Amino acid sequence: MISLIRSEIYKIRKQSKTLYALAAILIIEGFVIVSAYYQGAGIIDLLLANLKDSFEFKGNLLNGNLIIYLILNSLWFHIPLILMIIISGFLTSEYKDRTLETVMLQPVGKLNFILSKYVVSIVFTLLIVLLLAVSTFLVSYWIFGRGDLVVYLDGLNFFKSDEAFYRLIYAFVSGANSMIFFSVVSLTLAVILKDATKTWIVSAIFLICSNLLLKIDFQNEFLNELFFSKLTDSWQYFFYYKIPYSTIYFKNFMLFGYTLITMIIGIIIFKRRDIQV
Amino acid sequence: MILEARNISKSYGSLEVLKNVTLECHKGKIYGLIGANGTGKSTLFRILLGLIKADGGSIEINSQGIKPIGGIIEKPALYGYLSAYGNLKVFARSQGLNLTKELYSQSMQQVGLSTKRTDAVNNYSLGMKQRLGLAVALLNNPDCIVLDEPFSGLDPMGIIALHELIKKLSRQNQITIIISSHIVGELTDLCDTLCILNGGEIIKKGPAAELLNDSVTTYKIVGNNLEMSEVLQSINAIFSKKSAFVSPKMISISEILQKLIEEGQEVTACIPQTDLKALFGGEKI
Repeated sequence: MISLIRSEIYKIRKQSKTLYALAAILIIEGFVIVSAYYQGAGIIDLLLANLKDSFEFKGNLLNGNLIIYLILNSLWFHIPLILMIIISGFLTSEYKDRTLETVMLQPVGKLNFILSKYVVSIVFTLLIVLLLAVSTFLVSYWIFGRGDLVVYLDGLNFFKSDEAFYRLIYAFVSGANSMIFFSVVSLTLAVILKDATKTWIVSAIFLICSNLLLKIDFQNEFLNELFFSKLTDSWQYFFYYKIPYSTIYFKNFMLFGYTLITMIIGIIIFKRRDIQV
Repeated sequence: MILEARNISKSYGSLEVLKNVTLECHKGKIYGLIGANGTGKSTLFRILLGLIKADGGSIEINSQGIKPIGGIIEKPALYGYLSAYGNLKVFARSQGLNLTKELYSQSMQQVGLSTKRTDAVNNYSLGMKQRLGLAVALLNNPDCIVLDEPFSGLDPMGIIALHELIKKLSRQNQITIIISSHIVGELTDLCDTLCILNGGEIIKKGPAAELLNDSVTTYKIVGNNLEMSEVLQSINAIFSKKSAFVSPKMISISEILQKLIEEGQEVTACIPQTDLKALFGGEKI
């Protein structure tokens, strides 16, 4: 199993699409930073126009913490989409190039093989989120400096600079769990569909539907609390004035359960199916 | 016996691809599986290699090794973005084998590839990919190798080189080799035993030379002025340029050749023509 994981990591390191994934993440980050640099002040003025009539604001609200928060919001769609495309490719490319057959012609168990794919996908996801977080903090603080964070979430919430720092870090940690869920879903879709294009399309639809369903009230307490799409936004809860820790823990725990179930489904399907590419 | 497959059957829906196929292979021998496209060769090989499950039957491989059987299905599937070393490293590592420099050199040498090339396998010719695929299949020293259509797409020199390599592996390393092809000529000189697969069944099995002799109904006789020969005219030979095609019925080919010499004809060659219909059992192809 360890040697299979090492072999998977070696392949990922050598593939050019890994570099494309890293480049895509950094481009999104750069795009947000450049937009904020040129247009951020105007947007904040517009957002706070009414409040400025009644309150006096000191310091610069267009600071590193706000930029990090804006980049953090790429966890809604951009980052999971990139992750789903890259991670499903870990398996679909093996189907397309028929290398899966060659691997399975070696004394390699199906369970160990697919399990190593899942493990490597989770590690890859964590590394991508870590890269995003570290680079975002470094570049945002370097260019924009530190300052208080203003966030609009059921109203305007203001956080002092130090408090904003740890809330942002926790949000990245919680967001990583959501990203793992989407990555595991994409790999399971790859197991089912085998074909890259079909997997990308279904993954994108899954992501869009998941985001849409998050906003829909099912008029049912059970579904509203336990349906998977309602569990992927726990990282946003760190920006309520009072952090609802119990809700965050519950959502993360349940989402991890969904991740495990999705993984088990993928493993069972892969194990039962013939290797036919 | 190194491999024993008994009564293997496989269906896809209502289509019966394999019907009670039995195959017995001995150590160090080369077995050829001949059949037209779509007769179930690849399906049988995939079952032997454990890639797909048979609906019925049993497979027994008498090997104590980590890897009892290896093989290549259709064209070799390798990681095109990796070098030969990278590919061998990935496949070795996946089976818990440490690819040392010595093992790498030995693996490449065994299949006649140079260790000097460090570029991506995407740049390799099909023949080189076949050799590298074979090196991957030979990792961990399997007792049996299955090669599905290994000559497909190779140029004549490539075919000869692969023939030599397969013979070497069989004779020197005592590896049992099972090869499939839909082209009879590719396997005749190579295999000890031939199996004819038609309509999902092995319809004939036996020593390659014997099986082919039984399926020879026509001979191509090459020589000068053959159309003038009364012997050939009397047995209704078909003439074409400097050759004549004869299908002896009442007399044997040796008697025909004897009479041609007596007649003063200059015969330069006599080539047996395998009757594919007779070999493949006629209708079901």
